[in-house]
Amino acid sequence: MMEEDALLTTLKILIIGESSVGKSSLLLRFTDETFDPDLQPTIGVDFKVKTITIDNNRCKLAIWDTAGFERFRTLTPSYYRGAQGVILVYDISSRQSFERLGTWLAELDMFSSRANVVKMLVGNKNDREREREVERAAGVAFARKHSMLFIEASAKTRDGVQCAFEELVEKIVQTPGLWEATGERGVVVLGGATEPGWIQYCGGYCELI
Amino acid sequence: MEPSNPEDHVGSSTGENSNQMPISDDVKALLTDARTNNKSVCCERCDSVVLKAGDASLSQVEFFLPHMKKKTENQRPGDGETLREFWLVGDMCTFENVGFSNTVETTKYLTCADCEVGPIGWCDVRDRTKFYVAVDRVSHK
Repeated sequence: MMEEDALLTTLKILIIGESSVGKSSLLLRFTDETFDPDLQPTIGVDFKVKTITIDNNRCKLAIWDTAGFERFRTLTPSYYRGAQGVILVYDISSRQSFERLGTWLAELDMFSSRANVVKMLVGNKNDREREREVERAAGVAFARKHSMLFIEASAKTRDGVQCAFEELVEKIVQTPGLWEATGERGVVVLGGATEPGWIQYCGGYCELI
Repeated sequence: MEPSNPEDHVGSSTGENSNQMPISDDVKALLTDARTNNKSVCCERCDSVVLKAGDASLSQVEFFLPHMKKKTENQRPGDGETLREFWLVGDMCTFENVGFSNTVETTKYLTCADCEVGPIGWCDVRDRTKFYVAVDRVSHK
């Protein structure tokens, strides 16, 4: 096996934010080159396992979308548990989605099982320049205040989407204590909760042999 | 060719070979001697790599999956077909790229992670050691 094939780690990444800011499209557009708006899944995707290579390191990402649950109630604590990275999304053409960011951060802080979760703020739909309600500078300022990475992106044009995920993963890998590689052959044991339950299975604990 | 075993598991051999079903030549051509996939398993639509060569074993079980595409105008959402040949994976982290649908009763359907076409397979949320990808619904490269 080639050197660059060695698996560095498996990371749990969450995508949160108000309804219809484009969280699911962002996830879909992460690597898809052949977007077909007519092909809608009828059941909805809960989460994805994706492999990306950054600086010759292969990382597996378990990426969780809120699947519309944010409309009805706050997300369950188990959704947040074990996450190493969070992508907080707002819509640059919706002031309201930007003003709710503080509430999302508060929920994240309350339920997150790690103190040093890497956070990225994504101003989505930047292809809608004419309907813009949130200036880029406001996004930058919010991100700086809360020690977050920041990017404007468009799931529609794919602009910045790949970049957002890669930057987030790079930052996680550079953050001491967020992940821990042990043993040989890419066996990785992530710290944190190992309670039974579907959600914890891949995010909280994962052995790759 | 080794006899088939529906309970065959990744990296394990039970030695029990009941309920044998014949394997078609098309599928035989995709197998290594150890009954694993000799090629990468990819999305038929966008070529996203679902599994690397050698990461899954052939499992012959019967499972009903809804159609991937609308075949006729009057096709109902629940229409589908019973499939019998699957690539079996014992750990969800073995996948290179895959999507999991929301749970329907106790089933999660697998989709392509990139273009979300599916279902390309399934798993039962009560058994987290078995993930099935339908041989008929993926390409092999």
